[in-house]
Amino acid sequence: MGVILQVEELKKYYGRFEALKGISFEVNEGEIFGLIGPNGAGKTTTLRIIATLLTLSSGSVKLLGYDLKQNPEKFRENISYLPEEAGAYRNLSGWDYLRFMARFYDQTNGRTNEFVERAARIAGLGDRLKDKVGTYSKGMVRKLLLGRALMTKPTLAILDEPTSGLDVINSLEVREIIKSYAREGLSVLLSSHNMLEVEFLSDRVALIDQGRILAIGTPRELKERYDAPNLEVVFRRAVQ
Amino acid sequence: MKKFTNLLVKEIRELINKQLIISLLFTFFLFYFIGNVARTEAKKAEAGRSIGVLDLDRSPISRGLVENLRLIRFRVEEFETRDKEEALAKTQEKKLPFLLVIPPGLGEGVENLKTREIETYSFLRSLSLTEARYADIFKVVLEATNNYLSNEVLKKKIPDTPVDNLKKPIRSRDFVIVRDQRAEASASAIAGFVYSQSIFVPIILAMILIYSSQMVISAIAMEKQNKTLETLLTVPISRSSIVAAKMLAAGIVGLLSAFIYMVAFRWYMKGLTGDLSQAAGSITSVIKQLGLSLTAGGSAILGVSLFLAILCALALATILGVLAEDYRTAQSLIMPLVFLVMIPYLLSIFTDLKSLSLPAKILIYAIPFSHSFMAVQNIVLHNYQAIAMGIIYLLAVFIILVVAAARIFSTDRVLTMKLRWRRKAVVL
Repeated sequence: MGVILQVEELKKYYGRFEALKGISFEVNEGEIFGLIGPNGAGKTTTLRIIATLLTLSSGSVKLLGYDLKQNPEKFRENISYLPEEAGAYRNLSGWDYLRFMARFYDQTNGRTNEFVERAARIAGLGDRLKDKVGTYSKGMVRKLLLGRALMTKPTLAILDEPTSGLDVINSLEVREIIKSYAREGLSVLLSSHNMLEVEFLSDRVALIDQGRILAIGTPRELKERYDAPNLEVVFRRAVQ
Repeated sequence: MKKFTNLLVKEIRELINKQLIISLLFTFFLFYFIGNVARTEAKKAEAGRSIGVLDLDRSPISRGLVENLRLIRFRVEEFETRDKEEALAKTQEKKLPFLLVIPPGLGEGVENLKTREIETYSFLRSLSLTEARYADIFKVVLEATNNYLSNEVLKKKIPDTPVDNLKKPIRSRDFVIVRDQRAEASASAIAGFVYSQSIFVPIILAMILIYSSQMVISAIAMEKQNKTLETLLTVPISRSSIVAAKMLAAGIVGLLSAFIYMVAFRWYMKGLTGDLSQAAGSITSVIKQLGLSLTAGGSAILGVSLFLAILCALALATILGVLAEDYRTAQSLIMPLVFLVMIPYLLSIFTDLKSLSLPAKILIYAIPFSHSFMAVQNIVLHNYQAIAMGIIYLLAVFIILVVAAARIFSTDRVLTMKLRWRRKAVVL
């Protein structure tokens, strides 16, 4: 498994506030890498920088060897980002929304339908895709957006709190979708403050708190290292 | 280009929603309806309105006065009674708007050069302007009649002298000079005609600027409110294309909306003022003689100036849109732009911007839109230097604004920039 994403000594300042204090990690091909930590730990800032939404203050981020600062457009071609509180255009139907998004990734003129059909399968919304997004429930919108994020089989899917605001049933469905796509070779970088969810999904995990990475490893390694039954206890002991 | 078109089509689809279509149709039909009603009323007025007349004199002069009223399309209803109060009651009963009472001895008084008074009674049943116009129209008739009578008396008393020489020993011939062209006409008539022909330009411009800007600000604010902006910023399309697509879509929809409003507005104005082309008459030849008509070249220059003003407004609106957190704050953020449009617009209608004091002039000239509002006047008067300076200034402002907008969209600021009012700490 080759490294597809390299993050080295990443720092981010908001004015004088240092949100990220030099974090480093790597994501391998076909791996689900989870960032876990409490609210305000720096998870979303890290994901937003990799997704080209925020600029980095120092350090480096490389995707497939491309440097983020020099080639942000290469990042955008190869990633797909699902923000925590994302929405879709309320006046468009589910189909129209997916088609609109797919056209940005269709380099060869003809793959749009393939992308849209894949997204429709992932979202599993059936005939409701004909309805306007404004009529969807929160769970339906989230599944539509997940379909959108995975439809192009990106090199790296960046999922920020993928089950945020979803009920138990919808959360289980979303986790299954992510897991099944990772089995097909998709790399995923996800964040969550739900440590049990990350433990279930991730091959490797980074514990992040106050802009620093406290530990990186597989869930099993971390549990052994901190002699803990689950990642929640691992995190508490790592912070202490 | 395919990606840009994809985004542009989406932006236009987002902007042309049910609310916009309903609002456009409603305004169109409202103006159309008011214009039609006004036109029908004007036609009725042209066909003649009835007034009551009580002629207590019955002399040739009083009959001449009544005939003059008929000549200018008043339908005269004469009362046979000799009692003024009864005539007033009948006028009221027949719902006539106006009663003219000619006293006995009017003709004899005029013959003997003695002033006589006639009485007019206007029944004000509503506060509309047409209701109040009868007394004014009658005064014009009276003026003409007075003129006719005094001419007749003077002819009898001083038969060998032309009456005009006696009444107007000094007369003026009015000439208007524009640059090196001269024509015999009244300056106020020329200015009034040019103004009436070009009044639509600033109205259209103000409408397009405000509509398009509001659309850009709302489009960006809606992206933020609906949490779609972050996703859009991570798709493989350049940030400058996103800015350009939003501006172009708002420009297209703004132009379309303004066009529909202007067709309706023109219809409405036609109803109120009548067709200007019918009233133009011989003045158009004087306008051509003075070189004051808008040529094809002038129209092209005007188009460039208006187009640059629209681009400036859209770029400024893009920056303001980034400051908006949601649709509600977007509505208040449009206000600075509305002021920047309305100040030069209103001033250009009511005053000559060039005659303002120096500080006011600097302030007004600093507003880029002022140059487009002055463009028609400058083009018609061939002030090419002022037009060129205005276009250069507009272009410079647009470049600065669009670069600023593109930079904001290329950095964190597109997500982090917000308008925050610093609150003073309160010590309890």
